[in-house]
Amino acid sequence: MSEALAIKDPFGKATTGKLGMWLFIIMDGLSFGGLLIGGAALRATAPSWPNPGDLLNIPLTGFNTFLLICTSFTMVMALNSLEKGSQSGLKKYLALTMAGGLVFLGIQVYEYYHFILDGFIPSTSIYAAVFYATTCFHGLHVLSGVIYIACILYAANQGRYTAHDTDHVEILGIFWHFVDLIWIFVFTVIYLI
Amino acid sequence: MDKDHKKTYFYNAVALTVLTVLELGVYQMPIAKMSQIVLLFAFAITKMMLVAMIYMHLRYETKVLRRILFIPIPAAILFAWALMYDLPFRWAI
Repeated sequence: MSEALAIKDPFGKATTGKLGMWLFIIMDGLSFGGLLIGGAALRATAPSWPNPGDLLNIPLTGFNTFLLICTSFTMVMALNSLEKGSQSGLKKYLALTMAGGLVFLGIQVYEYYHFILDGFIPSTSIYAAVFYATTCFHGLHVLSGVIYIACILYAANQGRYTAHDTDHVEILGIFWHFVDLIWIFVFTVIYLI
Repeated sequence: MDKDHKKTYFYNAVALTVLTVLELGVYQMPIAKMSQIVLLFAFAITKMMLVAMIYMHLRYETKVLRRILFIPIPAAILFAWALMYDLPFRWAI
C-alpha cells in the first residue's frame, strides 16, 4: 500500500541548495538575455555598426575563451576528485580554477586598459556601450566566481567536505560552468558577429 | 555519477576547444555574413549544450528539472522577436 502511495520526487536527488542555484541561474541567464537582446535591438536601429575585428583583439579573447574552457575542466575535476575521496585533488583543482579565473580577469583588464588608451570608452559609440556593459557584467560574474571559489577552498582546507558531502562543491561548479556557458554566447555575439 | 568520468570530461574540453578554433576559423573565412552568423550560432549552441549537459551534469538530472531550465530559452526568443518587431514603430526617425 505504501509503495502504491509513494510519490516520485520530480527533482530526483537534487538538493534544495542545488535547486536554488539553478533558479538563480535562470534569473541571471535572463539578465544576460536582456543585455544581449538590448544590444541586438540597438544594433538593428544603428545607422552603422563596426566590424568587431577592427576594434577588438579577437585572438587574445579566443585565448581567454580557451582559458575559461580549461577552468571548467579543472572545476569538474575538483568535484570528481572529491567524489573519489581525494582531498588534495579537490584543493589542487580548485586552486587551478581560481588561478584561471584570475588570469581571465587580468587579460580583460589588460584589454580594457589598451582600449581606454586608444580612446575606446563606453561613451565612444553605441557599440562601445554595448561591449562594455556586457563584458563588464560577465567580468563581475567571473570575479564573484573567484571569490566564491576562494571561500570553498578555505572550507576545503578546513576539511569540511568528504566523498559523501559534495553538495557545496557541486553548487559552486554549477555557478562556474554557467559563467563559462554565458561567455561562450557573449564571445560569439560581441566579438565574432 | 558513481563512475569516474575523467575521460568524458577531458574529451568534452577537447571538443569545446576544437569548436572554439572552428569558430575563429569561420570568423576569418570569406563567406556570406548570414552563413557566418548561422555557423557561429550553431557552434555556440553546441558548446553551450556540451557545458550544460556534461559539466553541469544536466544529463543526470530528472526530465522535470531539465524542462524547467529550458523554459526561459523560448521565452527569451519570444521577447527578442517581439522587440525586433516593435523597433520600426518606436525608434524610427
